[in-house]
Amino acid sequence: MECQVPECKQRQPTELGRKLSRLRPWVQSGFLGVWLAPLGQWLHGIPGCVFHCYSCPLSSFGCPVGIAANYAALLPVTLEVPYMLLGVLVFTGALGGSIVCGWACPFGFLQDLLGRITTRKVALPGWAGHSRYAVLVGLVMLLPLVLGFKGIPFEEQVVSICRLCPAGALEAGVPYSLESLLAGKGWLMSGCKTGILVAFFASTLFIHRPWCRIFCPLGGLLSLFNRFSLFHLRFNPKECVECNLCRSRCQMGVKVDQRVNVSGCIRCLECATCGALEPCFAFPKDTSTPPPPKAPPDSASPTIPSIS
Amino acid sequence: MLTRVPQPPVNPALRDLERHDFWPGFIAALIGGVLVFCGAQHLTGVDTVEGNTAWETQLMRAFSVGGLQYADQMAPPASPKPDNAAAGALDHWARQDANAAPLTWKVRVDTGAKKACPT
Repeated sequence: MECQVPECKQRQPTELGRKLSRLRPWVQSGFLGVWLAPLGQWLHGIPGCVFHCYSCPLSSFGCPVGIAANYAALLPVTLEVPYMLLGVLVFTGALGGSIVCGWACPFGFLQDLLGRITTRKVALPGWAGHSRYAVLVGLVMLLPLVLGFKGIPFEEQVVSICRLCPAGALEAGVPYSLESLLAGKGWLMSGCKTGILVAFFASTLFIHRPWCRIFCPLGGLLSLFNRFSLFHLRFNPKECVECNLCRSRCQMGVKVDQRVNVSGCIRCLECATCGALEPCFAFPKDTSTPPPPKAPPDSASPTIPSIS
Repeated sequence: MLTRVPQPPVNPALRDLERHDFWPGFIAALIGGVLVFCGAQHLTGVDTVEGNTAWETQLMRAFSVGGLQYADQMAPPASPKPDNAAAGALDHWARQDANAAPLTWKVRVDTGAKKACPT
């Protein structure tokens, strides 16, 4: 299918765009040192802002999704509000929206690495991202709550987000299962969870970031802040030459040519390579955009001469 | 080699600049910061095995190490073996069990738990 843009100029990425694109894997690698307990300090009592299982032997912080599900399951027993969890998510989202997805999340980083395997990737429809909210509301909040009302503690709930999570399967299930295997006690992880992990790896061959695009409840929640977060992408019409480089660079299927600060975006800034989309931070007195021109004086109203 | 994705013609002059204002994000970030601070100082309504009240951070940590104990899952104290020499102890235990107050907690935090999350 040929590009429908009348003058689709073969624009090359800008220098800033190239730098950001080269820098991102290094930043993601650097954040692994934060999430993987570099100093042996286990801070599971503090929720992180990325998708990383707290059962991982190396995890530093608590998984926000697991913590939320546990709170939901605890609600029938005792009414507790997760102030710190809400605070971390709201603060992170308000500052950068879903930028942690594109630059800090270890599970997203893994999918980026697997996505580099040169296989033909399937383009998902735009509505595929809505299922993240179904996971958030249904699997993270409602299901533990309902089973909690039946007197089943979260640890004993047969179906839960943690029992279905591929991140937990990889980061916790595999290490403990290997340890169990080496001790002669067999494979510890259930067949269902092992199957989910295998399916996840297989899906990364055909879909870019499948977990992030279809299922991640944390990414879905943080991306709701994209519309008003302090960090955002701003469109500069003077730089746009309709080269469709922005949409071509986006691997999340966002229609960047129409709107970029939307819930499907992980703020990887690949689209910023075109130069028309600029990463910006909102400040109180932002003078980068010229103020709108003042309206001409109304000719019907009499002018009052100044008295000198 | 980058594959160009076809896109419909767009008029850059008519497209929204998508410029975010400062105050909505700032106020939301402020609210988030306040919530984090409140959470750090928050004493929950859940007791610990030591008899104290659990902090919110202790409760969240308990989720990952199997540190939650539920009252309806606590086994009753084992009764002593009946023999002649322990007849007095058996009588003492019976009286103690009869006078024991029902558990006042439904769930409590074991701050010393270290087992892996079973999920």
